[in-house]
Amino acid sequence: METTSTLEKTLRLLALTLVVIFFMFPIFWIFLMSFQTNETILRIPPQVIFEPTLSNYTALITGKLTSAAGTLDIAFMKNLGNSVFLSVTSVALALVLGVPAAYAFARHKFKGSEDIAFTLLSFRFAPPLLVLLPLTQYFQWLGLANTYIGLIWVYQLICLPLILWIVRGYFEDISADVEYAYRIAGHSWFATFRRIALPLAGPGIAAAGLLAFIFAWNNFVFALVLASADKQPVTVGALAFVTSSGIQYGQIAAAIVLSVTPTLALALYAQRYLVEGLSLGAVKG
Amino acid sequence: MASPATPESRRSGFRISKKALPYVLSLPALLVCIGILIPFFTAVVYSFQRYRLSQPWARQFNWGENYLNFFSDPAFWNTLKVSLLYAGFTVVLELLLGLGIALLLQRRSTVNNFISIMLLLPLMIAPALAALMWKLMTNPGFGVLSYLASLVGLHDFRWASSPSTALLTVVLVDIWVYTPFIMILLLAGLRSLPTQPFEAAALDGVPRLFVFFRITLPMLTPYILTATLFRLLDSIQQFDIIYAMTQGGPGNTLTVFQVEAYLNFFQSTNVGRSAALLIILWAITYILSNIFIKNWLRLRERARGEA
Amino acid sequence: MTTLQLENIVKRYKNHTVLDHLSLDVKDGETLVLFGPSGAGKSVLLRLIAGVIDAEEGRILIGGEDMTDVDAEHRGIGMAFQNFALFPHMDAFENIATPLEAKRSSADTIKAGVHRVAKLLKIDHVLTHRPKALSNGQKQRTALARALAGSPPLLLLDDPLRNVDAKLRFEMRLELPRVLAAQGATVVYVTQDYKEAMALGDRIAVMSEGRIRQIGTPEDIYNAPADIDIARLFGDPTINLLDVKPNAEADGVSVLLSDVRIVLPGIPANAAGKACVLGLRPEALSFVPAGTPGAIPVTVEAETPLNEKTVTLALTVRGREILVSRPAGTPGPASGSAHIAVDGANAFLFDKQTGALIARHGSHTGTQGEAA
Repeated sequence: METTSTLEKTLRLLALTLVVIFFMFPIFWIFLMSFQTNETILRIPPQVIFEPTLSNYTALITGKLTSAAGTLDIAFMKNLGNSVFLSVTSVALALVLGVPAAYAFARHKFKGSEDIAFTLLSFRFAPPLLVLLPLTQYFQWLGLANTYIGLIWVYQLICLPLILWIVRGYFEDISADVEYAYRIAGHSWFATFRRIALPLAGPGIAAAGLLAFIFAWNNFVFALVLASADKQPVTVGALAFVTSSGIQYGQIAAAIVLSVTPTLALALYAQRYLVEGLSLGAVKG
Repeated sequence: MASPATPESRRSGFRISKKALPYVLSLPALLVCIGILIPFFTAVVYSFQRYRLSQPWARQFNWGENYLNFFSDPAFWNTLKVSLLYAGFTVVLELLLGLGIALLLQRRSTVNNFISIMLLLPLMIAPALAALMWKLMTNPGFGVLSYLASLVGLHDFRWASSPSTALLTVVLVDIWVYTPFIMILLLAGLRSLPTQPFEAAALDGVPRLFVFFRITLPMLTPYILTATLFRLLDSIQQFDIIYAMTQGGPGNTLTVFQVEAYLNFFQSTNVGRSAALLIILWAITYILSNIFIKNWLRLRERARGEA
Repeated sequence: MTTLQLENIVKRYKNHTVLDHLSLDVKDGETLVLFGPSGAGKSVLLRLIAGVIDAEEGRILIGGEDMTDVDAEHRGIGMAFQNFALFPHMDAFENIATPLEAKRSSADTIKAGVHRVAKLLKIDHVLTHRPKALSNGQKQRTALARALAGSPPLLLLDDPLRNVDAKLRFEMRLELPRVLAAQGATVVYVTQDYKEAMALGDRIAVMSEGRIRQIGTPEDIYNAPADIDIARLFGDPTINLLDVKPNAEADGVSVLLSDVRIVLPGIPANAAGKACVLGLRPEALSFVPAGTPGAIPVTVEAETPLNEKTVTLALTVRGREILVSRPAGTPGPASGSAHIAVDGANAFLFDKQTGALIARHGSHTGTQGEAA
């Protein structure tokens, strides 16, 4: 393209290096910490070379923490299980509810459809606590307080608008004539939806589902307000660690590593879908 | 040949009428959301009540008193100030940084693509956990960043535990988490720009800075606006990072809207004030998102027109 | 085979009326061409007949049965789309098989049915290809095959040759009548190409702005266009249109072209004195030697040989442009001045204000050579 001077090349390289260091260093450092004992963590200056230990992980996985003060039970694995369960079921429910609705919004310009679509989108932008705080009282009355069902319902607030918005765009991209052709060939609307619309919007549904999963997994405030310890996902559970006595820093780091691994792995595995979903959700519609 | 069934039999039987179909398809999703709309109206009611969980007997409508009290309430002005500062700093810095990184990575190459994927990772980490990571790194006792600060002469740099640097610390975490979002959006935008204007400018020997300000930036504007408004709406409502990092402290240094509302509700059990705070925040986001949606619709129209 | 009746169809989008009280009868086994400019409502009409969109008013009868509220899948229709509308995730075989699958036919029946239409349309060698791997011509044939596969009694073809190149279009235009005859279906065919309309239609319905302006056999439309617009749409090169003011005659009226009087027999005398437009098909004009009675002197400006004919642009003494066409290979005028003869019996007279054809009484319809 253009002739770049050596100075410019050097500056670009330097800038990129700084960027990579800034964004990668915390992940790298916490990863290192998770293999350290308190003893090496507390050493100054901080150590990059040390004798790695798996004790932090074994403590988390067995749920038994032995220290000078005695044995402490930690429910981190329970939190991890809650995260998996809540995210998977919430996304599954949101897909079941959201994909047909997205199809209706995309295909049938029915009365008020634009208004409803925007209302649903605006959930994404409303302060979550506005809904959550009164909801704590409703949940008490309904018996949904501290239940998985209640949490999964509230998680729809994150998953549903996302899926509706992204999948709708993909359905709109399918030529109406393609669906008409299948109808005219003698198939019901449901067969058309299942065998034409769904497969053609497949990549979009995958992208939306993936994003919804990551958002659900990463959610913090919903469970903080509505769940007590035995139903909490890792985001809330890991924070509770910090304040509980007797916990070692290496174990917090290990808990963080275990908590972020699923989303990071998913992101790396399906980054193409992810980028598409993120940019579509924002720019297209 | 035509099926033997009469038109009557084709119409009857189990069949959803054409007009009802879209409603039937979207109804379940709507019902789930309506269930969540009810608490919203409850919150509006609360905001007009004197309502403390600790004194349920004294609960009564005081109409606009919760709102009027805000005028003479330094805590409220602090909340407004901190929220705006937080949103302003994060959005501006993330935008500049995101644009810069996107420009650095604009050329498609293996290395650039690899780096852009790597930079996605912070965005995939829960903000609450990201705050926790930074909390470990800025611990005054053993944190690696505290150590690095001392190397450049900042001894006893307290990061989030000092009122003077707490905002800086949480803004830094926000930048770490959310800059990749802006970077992805702008990178997608940059790479989708038509190449002709740039080739023409290069042929004519137009200075690069001029090309950037007169061609690149205007063409990138739709993406920049979208990214900005998305981030603005998220940032003014930030809760996870701040709560996980300092719970609004030290003191009331970081009591942004949602943190202040949370503390009002659960610690001071002042439901009325908490609800009124959230309604004000909602009004701010509503106005911002309306700007966003209008703008977005216009851009969409334009994009369709060009297609 | 079946019949199709549309009664008073009205379709609106927001405040715009796309179809305006449109009625149409298609006879058993007939190929009816819907012809008109884009935006006339032809495609909307086809989708209404197919049942994928609904009309605000009116009834649709297929084979005498009221189908207005019957879903698309129960109407027994085959349809091919202008943009092919192939299913991108299925190969050509699966695409063509969809109407047969809908009938829950056995695998053998499906296979036989697909191969029958594939052979008819000469695409049996690409049945395993996905649409992406097909050429445009193959895509178009696959789309047609899919429409035919279920042997529907009523076939709707929405400008199926629009998106293929000129050569393929020409071939298909020759081939389609054979294919449609083999199918034995009633056909509604949409096109914007008047040659296609004339070549394929038993009758042509000319549409514009949501109404049918004229319906008739290709000869009817060519030889008695209902108005100036239709006259202009049919014919290549375009009909010559000249402003005239007729004078009354014993039989019909006469007009003056470059001071030469041309009698138009059979035109009602009340046309005399009105502002009118004279329509002269280029092929109804011929060059004649100077001194021929009634010949109009012209200056030859340019000659353009087309495939089967040669078109001459000539100027009258008043500077009006006239196109004359003659079969290729026949001798033309020398450059410079020449004379053309006008046959008043083959000329059209339109009311300038309304654009409508002023009909001749008696059977004075011109007898022009074969259309197009």
